[in-house]
Amino acid sequence: MTGIMALRPSKRALVEYIASRTLFYVATLFTAVTLTYVLFKAMPVDAVENIIFGMTSAVGAVYDPKAVMQLRRDLYELFGLGGGSPVESYLVFLRRVFTFNFGPSFISFPTPALELVLYRLPWTIGLLTTSTIVTWTLGNLLGVIAGYFRTGRFGRVLEGVAITLYPIPYYIMALVLILVFAFLIPIFPLGGGTSVIAEELTLEVILNIIWHSLLPALSLIIPGALGWFFISARTLTMETLSEDYTKYAQIRGLPEGHIIRRYVLKNILVPQTTMLALSLGGIFSGAILTEVIFAYPGVGMLAYRATFSGDLNTLMAVLLLSMLAVATAVYVLDLLYPLLDPRIRHR
Amino acid sequence: MPVLDSFRKISRSFRDAYKGNFKFRLGFSIVLVMSILGLVLPYFSPQDPRSWYTVPKDKPPSFQYPLGTTTMGRNVFWELCASIGKSLTIALITALIASHVGLLIGLVAGIKGGTLDKLLMFLSDTFVILPQLVLLIVVITVVRAWITIPMLGAIISIVSWPWPARQVRSMVLSLRERTFVYTARLSGMNMPKVLLYELMPHLLGWHLVNFANTILFSVGTEGSLAIFGLSLLDNNTLGAMLYWAINFYALYRGLWWWISAPVVTLVLIFVSFYLISVGLSEHLHRIRR
Amino acid sequence: MEVDLEAAALEGGYLLSSMHTPSPKRHEVYVDAVSDVSLKLRRNEVFGIAGESGCGKSTLIKMLYGYLEPPLVLRGGSVKLHTKEGEEVQITSLTRKQLQKDVWWNHASYVPQSSMNVLNPTMRIRDHFAEMFKMHAGIGRKEAYAEARKYVEQVGLPMDVLSAFPHQLSGGMRQRVVIAIALLLEPDLVLADEPSSALDVINQQIVLNLLREAQEALRNTLVIVSHDMGIHGVMTHRMTVMYAGKLIEIGRTGDIFEKPIHPYTQVLIESLPKLGDKKQRTGLGGHPPDLRSPPTGCRFHPRCPYAMPKCGKEPPEIQEVKSDRYVACWRYPE
Repeated sequence: MTGIMALRPSKRALVEYIASRTLFYVATLFTAVTLTYVLFKAMPVDAVENIIFGMTSAVGAVYDPKAVMQLRRDLYELFGLGGGSPVESYLVFLRRVFTFNFGPSFISFPTPALELVLYRLPWTIGLLTTSTIVTWTLGNLLGVIAGYFRTGRFGRVLEGVAITLYPIPYYIMALVLILVFAFLIPIFPLGGGTSVIAEELTLEVILNIIWHSLLPALSLIIPGALGWFFISARTLTMETLSEDYTKYAQIRGLPEGHIIRRYVLKNILVPQTTMLALSLGGIFSGAILTEVIFAYPGVGMLAYRATFSGDLNTLMAVLLLSMLAVATAVYVLDLLYPLLDPRIRHR
Repeated sequence: MPVLDSFRKISRSFRDAYKGNFKFRLGFSIVLVMSILGLVLPYFSPQDPRSWYTVPKDKPPSFQYPLGTTTMGRNVFWELCASIGKSLTIALITALIASHVGLLIGLVAGIKGGTLDKLLMFLSDTFVILPQLVLLIVVITVVRAWITIPMLGAIISIVSWPWPARQVRSMVLSLRERTFVYTARLSGMNMPKVLLYELMPHLLGWHLVNFANTILFSVGTEGSLAIFGLSLLDNNTLGAMLYWAINFYALYRGLWWWISAPVVTLVLIFVSFYLISVGLSEHLHRIRR
Repeated sequence: MEVDLEAAALEGGYLLSSMHTPSPKRHEVYVDAVSDVSLKLRRNEVFGIAGESGCGKSTLIKMLYGYLEPPLVLRGGSVKLHTKEGEEVQITSLTRKQLQKDVWWNHASYVPQSSMNVLNPTMRIRDHFAEMFKMHAGIGRKEAYAEARKYVEQVGLPMDVLSAFPHQLSGGMRQRVVIAIALLLEPDLVLADEPSSALDVINQQIVLNLLREAQEALRNTLVIVSHDMGIHGVMTHRMTVMYAGKLIEIGRTGDIFEKPIHPYTQVLIESLPKLGDKKQRTGLGGHPPDLRSPPTGCRFHPRCPYAMPKCGKEPPEIQEVKSDRYVACWRYPE
């Protein structure tokens, strides 16, 4: 019987896929780190001296001379000015990065920069993960509904809303939300991660944390669920509806709900996941800003303070760790693909 | 007169787009208003918007001061106008650099194909995955002392080129499939030349759309950077207004006009540029048929 | 002879708004794809609809099925289906929901033109069967899978196919799956739109045989739409020839092939190669009319070698000129 391709789930195709994605993951990280190095190498030498000067000559600043020397050495290594050939300084840079040795932070000398970032990371990741999951799910559902019931008031209204919200960056949404819900109608707190200082995680503390995260989360969710993801879900839905297989399903008399679930939703999952993977970088940036606006104690706030003090060690730590975080998230999503798209599993 | 001809062609297609598409009309009109506010009006401002304490501070909007005044003694209205101009200038520079670099890279990747294509796309994918804002923060923190308007525009374009590059490349790929068949027949003509002449008319439309999108992205990014204090703070930009308003706790102190003005303006800018880009692409889509 | 499907004075076409032109003004254009079509299809027969591309055959069977997806509109006429149980269903007056629930797949089914993309890429073949069973017969998944095996076997496919995804099957196999699904509920009427046109010769044979065997087993009505006269010659008992939206000849297939009456039919039959005939084939000059503004009178008259002045003024009615033979031409009856 000719024409049957390998009907057993092709293990080989799957393994090849995983291998190539892993390669991509590692290569990307490597390239990103190298790009950073090149970028720094391109900075004028004075930059280092400028920074140190800026810090040491700030009013009221008292610095231990040994600390300043250590800092100068660290910065030189960072900028690839540590002497030796370019290859050597590149390798030194690499070694520092891969051992997560970012040197001491400056805003909290001598606490290592790494520690500062790790302490804040859970806040950011918590906020990010929950809001991204909600955004993606909500955006998809709303998009499918709007795409399916395209005519009619509801669809049009949603479309108008989406067009207005789509281009608005997260921080503007954050500011608007603050203006409306924390200022004009003071329901939510103006900022902070929590208003209760506690050592242990009691229910009260947890609830308080959630309460404080609501507005920041909302400012991340709304532009996504009613903007980005919504629009692409809607467009994809409309495309899927004009596909032969959807029309054939309608011809066979299958009920609408069934078609929406198994013919539309299932088929837009793959491109939507691609979109998610591509926008993670942007979502992360948005989260950082939102933290600053809401004074939310995550990595964003840390970066904010580090920027003001010119604390490059901490900034580098934030940069490289966030690159790692986003690249890993994308990698995880990549690995999820075979589950979603049978065409990858069975080649 | 070929120059006059192409000028006529461009203005005709512009008129078509303007008449044919509501979104484009709306977006363009708002942008026009913004440009006038930002680039023309500042020449008429009674005080140098950069100087502080020229007017009584913390005054709410009134007839005399239509948008109120700030804690630093500036007239919000004139400050806003100047800021719009500066922000738009930065965004323009970014768009000019990034969209053209993106166009070039997309063209090369799409036409040449092969390993060069894979390499370029890998590079652009890496940039996409990187958290762009963080990278910008680190870079600008270092060069803070020397930052100027064009420099800011150029730096932002470092992270803005991958997206147009990808778009252009996919357009080139799909167009290549089409012209490929009769390119084979037109033997004798240099392949890259044919592709360029065939592709350009299509690409021009999308190039404009990309351009509008990049402006949008750049204005947004400048604002984000400003919040971190990494923009030109004493020179007026919209982001800078936000920064100062936040830093002086405008909200906590009830000076809502100081922060609302830049926020509302930013929203208008975003929406209008987006309308332009959506309107343009809808119009192009329709003409294509 | 029992009548299975009756179409009377059917009128329909495509309402296109000028979004397809660059000018922003909106006006609507009506493409008259099916004009004054009347048919009586009998039980236990294979009926063919022939004609060149664009003549309206696919549109006609969509209207017979009741699948009116915009921009397709029904402008007049009626379609009545007489089921095995003796009910009379007025397809043209039912809503989409009613059609979905009572008529589609139960009493009438549809085999689409090309099966390359009609199956859901994210669903296994057995689930395609299962969803039909579940909806119409309330059968659970396990049972449905078991039932599906029987059908898959009937169309000559191996059991592995059931657990496969559509992209793993070739075009011919997909077409067979689609046919198996179409016959699932043993409908009174099966409408097949160019069932073998997209396939290679071997698969064509297989698919056509399948369809014929199924029709003989179920003793229902099978309608085959095809531009390929050869298929009609082999498969159909009776057939009709369609031109520019109108039926111009209806009759027993054998009779039509032996002695075509309408000038257009004559050209079609003439163009078929015959064994031993070394004469050169000539085609017909000109091309089919633009259905946005069809010609007055007989739509074939601009190309007809026998055209009379009358032909350009009034459209001929289709009339019975011999026993069970209908022609729409001013030359007949003589």
